Amino acid sequence: MRVTRFLPDGKQLVDTITPLAEALDKRRPALARVPIAALLELFDDFSRRLLQHPDTRTLDGVAFLSNWLRKSNLEGMLRLNLRGSKEFLDGFLPLGSLKLAAKPRGLVSMWMAGNVPTLPLFSMVSALLAKNVCIVKLALENDEGMISLLTVLSQSEAAELKGSELLQFVTVVWYDYQHQDLNEEMSWAADTKIMWGGAAALRAISALPRKEHCTEIAFGPKYSIGLLDRKRLERSGGLDAVIAAFVRDIAAFDQRACSAPQTIFIEKNSRLSLRQVAELFAQHFRRLPPKPSLDFYTTVRILNVRAEWALDDQRDVIASGPEANWTICMDSAVSMKEAVQSRTVFLSEIDSWERILPLITPKIQTVGMVFGDATDAEAFANQVTQRGVARCVPPGLMNGFESPWDGKLLISELVRWVSLKG
Amino acid sequence: MVEQQVEELLKGRQYDMPQRDKEQLLISLLRALCRSMADNCAPYGRFLERLGAPVEMWRRLADIPPLPVTMFKHFELCAVPPSQVVRVLLSSSTTGSSPSRIFVDKTTAFRQGRALAALLKEDIGGSRRPYLVLDSPDSVKAGDQLSARGAAIRGIGNFASSIDYAFRALPGGELSPDFAVIESFFANHGSRQPLLFGFTFIVWTRFVLEMEERGLTFGASGATVLHSGGWKKLAAQAVSKAEFNSRTAAMVGCSPETILDFYGMVEQVGTVFVDCPAGNKHAPAFADVVVRAPYTLEPVGTGEEGVIEVLSVLPTSYPGHAVITEDLATLIGCDDCPCGRKGSYFRFTKRVERAELRGCGDTFAKSRERL
Repeated sequence: MRVTRFLPDGKQLVDTITPLAEALDKRRPALARVPIAALLELFDDFSRRLLQHPDTRTLDGVAFLSNWLRKSNLEGMLRLNLRGSKEFLDGFLPLGSLKLAAKPRGLVSMWMAGNVPTLPLFSMVSALLAKNVCIVKLALENDEGMISLLTVLSQSEAAELKGSELLQFVTVVWYDYQHQDLNEEMSWAADTKIMWGGAAALRAISALPRKEHCTEIAFGPKYSIGLLDRKRLERSGGLDAVIAAFVRDIAAFDQRACSAPQTIFIEKNSRLSLRQVAELFAQHFRRLPPKPSLDFYTTVRILNVRAEWALDDQRDVIASGPEANWTICMDSAVSMKEAVQSRTVFLSEIDSWERILPLITPKIQTVGMVFGDATDAEAFANQVTQRGVARCVPPGLMNGFESPWDGKLLISELVRWVSLKG
Repeated sequence: MVEQQVEELLKGRQYDMPQRDKEQLLISLLRALCRSMADNCAPYGRFLERLGAPVEMWRRLADIPPLPVTMFKHFELCAVPPSQVVRVLLSSSTTGSSPSRIFVDKTTAFRQGRALAALLKEDIGGSRRPYLVLDSPDSVKAGDQLSARGAAIRGIGNFASSIDYAFRALPGGELSPDFAVIESFFANHGSRQPLLFGFTFIVWTRFVLEMEERGLTFGASGATVLHSGGWKKLAAQAVSKAEFNSRTAAMVGCSPETILDFYGMVEQVGTVFVDCPAGNKHAPAFADVVVRAPYTLEPVGTGEEGVIEVLSVLPTSYPGHAVITEDLATLIGCDDCPCGRKGSYFRFTKRVERAELRGCGDTFAKSRERL
């Protein structure tokens, strides 16, 4: 038995994907009949329960997930994605001379990355809101957090829909990624493929055979940065909160999310040296709890980067202590540093934000930006988004999954717009 | 004073000192040596200043900030004027990466030679023996630069009464067995406790498998085979240490107990860790090992796996007193090895996964794979 199926009451072993996909396919009409209002009510209840249940309330990122699942947030997201009205999901609505409806694509196969424990929920809930049945392939075999999340979802309820009923439209599995036949089964079953992961994984999944009409949505490897501008640094009021927010973005998901800042550019100013800014960051890093554990590879990478920065007379470093808890590397090179992750941030001093524009490519996903002047902020955002950046947000919000994400309105890509005339 | 104490350590028995005594002795020596190194090697001075507690606060060997071994690839870490550098040791380097460059002055070179002799004496005895190098003469070409392979071959050469090279280097660096030399060596010296040395992957692929294919065995019952280098490629070929030892021994004609694996690196020439009769590795008197836990970097407990850090009092020309590797070991125990040697003892487990490949054996394997 090569496939582990994740269920609210535990795991089940099965050998292939196709029977699971066929069962889901048969349930598509039932999901299409569920009113969008019922789905929103159910997720709202799920949102509350996540923060109450002892097995989910301590999961990394669950507070954000809970907020994201709130009815008001999801409604706003649907309005943005669906031409102003979620009702398109329930049937035809007039729009100009047409009647339009947003129909599900069908079965969505999704291959998840392992860096953010709650990521499968964002992907899965988006697919369900568009009334697609879905197969979710997890990255990690021992994803016990997922069992807890499914358990709480199964216990959630709304007037017209129970969580246990909704879970009939979802199958969550894990299998070794090297099983090419299973990947092919998942791909053949899909009307839409959602891929989260690194470049190699995306290439491999995209190359799998698929139906002619199958669409693909790829969330590939990205790098995120921060920027603190001169005018904001000249003003001391509130700066501490700004840096605290950056440190929260760095610490979340052990800095493995593509939206986590790796390099933060600091504009030269008359008030604070780079070292002084780094000391402000250090004050907030010192308040973080120890990490629960760390693998050997990341430990060694942290030791290496600390030494590399410490030996160099053009660079500087502040570290938590001998343990690989947090590290602040400083230099004046206008460059994106290779991400080390796990609370390792590179502060680079620059004369002006314009110096970093040549470095901006579509590889950069999110910029956590702090400007003293709103006009400057908009000028900067215009320039970097033109070059490929997907999101410009204040620090503290960098890892908040939202719509659009990576330049995509996900739910709008999970529906087929159909028309009725006459 | 420090020089005299280092000299005493090199002169004495290598594995007799209980761990606590050794730690006390080494920490006091290393405080002085690291302070002096920081004065003479500016990058190392910055490293200690930025990342470590003040030297006078060091109470345990584990308190010394360990310098990652890869730093020798990125920086020229030298504590003496160029005129005093007598040799530059180069690590093997995988494609696309720079080799480590270790600057050795006369004192360091002298100590490294003395150290290797002192510890190998306890493993293979002090008498000179016929030496078959399981490599080509090109590995020890004269010059002011020497590879890790060359340094090890030369170091063991101090125990040789005669030296023969078992392989020829082909264009492109491939090695080809010189069967005439090999057969002649065993015919002439097989009964005279010969000493053989080569890098593990080369020994296996170019010596053991090639001789087996030709059905050659040599009946050299008193032979000792020393080998060093990564197990990674052998593990990938599902060759265990036990199988390596038994098949090598069967072909040479010696006991599997005299097939001795040692752990060492170009950044710590002279400080090698040879398998004891119980299959463990011990640090000699002038060096020690700290096996550090991930994240906390604290020394692990018995039975736990950690990153290997090697400490040594030998270097005077480069900051090699506390070097942390990208290799993992399990700490087996302390002062109570069945072989009778004192100090903490460990077993190498593997390289840190996804880390850059290091070691000559692995480089060789990589080039063969490409072909």
